[in-house]
Amino acid sequence: MAYTINIVAENKPGVLYRITGLLTKRKINIEHLNAFETKKNGVSQIFLTVDVNPHIVDTLVKQINKIVEVLDVRYHLTQR
Amino acid sequence: MTLRQAQGKKITGSEAVIKMLLHLGVEVIFGYPGGANMPIYDALYNYRKKINHILVRHEQGASHAAEGYARTTGKPGVCLVTSGPGATNLVTGIADAMMDSVPLVCITGQVAAHLLGSDAFQEADVIGITTPITKWNYQITNVTEIPEVFAKAFFIATHARPGPVVIDIVKSSQFETFNFQYPKNVHIKKFSAKGRSPSGRYDEEINKAAQWLNKAKRPYMLVGHGVLIGKAEKEVQKLMEKSGIPAAVTLHGLSSIPVDHPYYVGMLGMHGNYAPNILTNKADVILAVGMRFDDRVTGRLADYAKKAKIIHIDLDASEHHKIVKAHLAIKADAKDALTQILVLITKNSRKNWINEFKKLQKKEREAADRRLRKRNGQIRMDEVICKLSELTNGKAILVADVGQNQMFSARFYDFKLPNSYITSGGLGTMGFSLPAAIGAKLGAPQREVFAVMGDGGFQMTIQELGTIMQEKLPIKIIILNNNFLGMVRQWQELFFEKRYSFTNMKNPDFVNIAQAYGIPGKKVYKHEELENEMQKMRIHPGPYLLEVDIEQEDNIFPMMPAGASVEEIRLEE
Repeated sequence: MAYTINIVAENKPGVLYRITGLLTKRKINIEHLNAFETKKNGVSQIFLTVDVNPHIVDTLVKQINKIVEVLDVRYHLTQR
Repeated sequence: MTLRQAQGKKITGSEAVIKMLLHLGVEVIFGYPGGANMPIYDALYNYRKKINHILVRHEQGASHAAEGYARTTGKPGVCLVTSGPGATNLVTGIADAMMDSVPLVCITGQVAAHLLGSDAFQEADVIGITTPITKWNYQITNVTEIPEVFAKAFFIATHARPGPVVIDIVKSSQFETFNFQYPKNVHIKKFSAKGRSPSGRYDEEINKAAQWLNKAKRPYMLVGHGVLIGKAEKEVQKLMEKSGIPAAVTLHGLSSIPVDHPYYVGMLGMHGNYAPNILTNKADVILAVGMRFDDRVTGRLADYAKKAKIIHIDLDASEHHKIVKAHLAIKADAKDALTQILVLITKNSRKNWINEFKKLQKKEREAADRRLRKRNGQIRMDEVICKLSELTNGKAILVADVGQNQMFSARFYDFKLPNSYITSGGLGTMGFSLPAAIGAKLGAPQREVFAVMGDGGFQMTIQELGTIMQEKLPIKIIILNNNFLGMVRQWQELFFEKRYSFTNMKNPDFVNIAQAYGIPGKKVYKHEELENEMQKMRIHPGPYLLEVDIEQEDNIFPMMPAGASVEEIRLEE
């Protein structure tokens, strides 16, 4: 199933790497990625579209949410 | 210059590192100097009386020693190593700490800022390498970052579920000077932005949990490492006593409940006890506290605890429903949640349910007796651990390695005090025991510390005998020598038609090696010598190595074969 994960994080080196590492360790491919600094100073918005088993998406998102620099995470099913 | 004078004065980055370590209450550092951390070592020289620096013989030893220290003190273990190979040698210990929720602060030197990314001498991408195995890491390239980054690192390592952090400091920042100020408070956006309240948010869940437990016929408590980390041992025991709920522990939950507690039923998992595994599938309500349903605990998931409503208390919400779908997930500190549940629990003795455990425990004992009779006369691992348990009255700290020695230590030592079983559970790192025992002893100098290991694991970090010698640490080393990689050999025997592919080891004379390090030792062959030699080891004032010649082809049972369900745990071959 394709999910879009919407992450708000501190705009710092290595944050995207820490997030994508959680995908790599489960051999999840990124279908689409968009990352940019928002107007708020020092905060980035990251949109990831990934194809994952619905059983693990919740755990995956919670693991992303544990990252110190991540301030908020949401996800939803994506129509493709 | 005193600490007070340092405030607001220009000092080097290296001095700032040491001042921050002192400020954060660091008393012991495990480290190894090299090119890229020499300025920090130079600053440390002035503070060598305030900070006890332990010079290990390999950086892996530093990381495991720091883990041992953290496990006995609850404080973060601190490592200080150089760039490149110094840092990569730490990796196994960092990964180990990540798996087992151990707070570490690892300080790695790095090449000068202008050389970053140039493949400079002893340069490695330490941030890149350690990202997947740390809670947090940071590279300091500006000297002024030091105070805040150190404060942040120690906070993160110990906050909520503990874990390792890495601070990579470029050499140029170690030399630069700046106006040093102690950080007033740690500012971490994540924690300040949301104002997450630690308690009171789960009243409804607590009520529901208590209701389920009160109504249950066969409630069962599974106790993990989180109980020891959260210092909730007393709350667990009070709950057991009031509610009559039997409790089993995971490998890392061992020693949270005294083995002689009437409602304690043993250890879970692949090599755990018979009753606690089998009866998992009879329980109608399971209260899992500070444990993460590791695959070694659950066996085949499709058949795990299908009759039970599962209540899962864990501070780390990402553990909820990760392996086992909980019917009620409570994101809470173990002590906090259990204290609240305890108030709502009704008194009960649950004799019939406890008797079911007792029946199966008897069955396990009978099987053990049958195995005992089959013995060929040589000493076996359980005999050594039982004897040790008896002589120390269950009050020592056991630092076990990985493999059969680990499981025999876990199963046959009658732990009476908390934080007494230290091992590498998640990562299963052979070679953990000897260096971890160094840290454990430094963290708990008043307690007896035994490093229990096999001949394989001992030789993976054997060089730390040098550290033990130099520091004159009275660690008692027990080598259970069967000249085999025992656990792999057991699997080869049971599942690979006894094809002992490269598990047999030709070993050196371990006692002689210890003696070369100035550590006295003795090799024991006979049952009748064992007690006497163990006592000699215990009363010897310094470190001591006792090698025990163990029956070559002994197996640890019960055993749940890989892929089997908890009910299929075997008592015998």
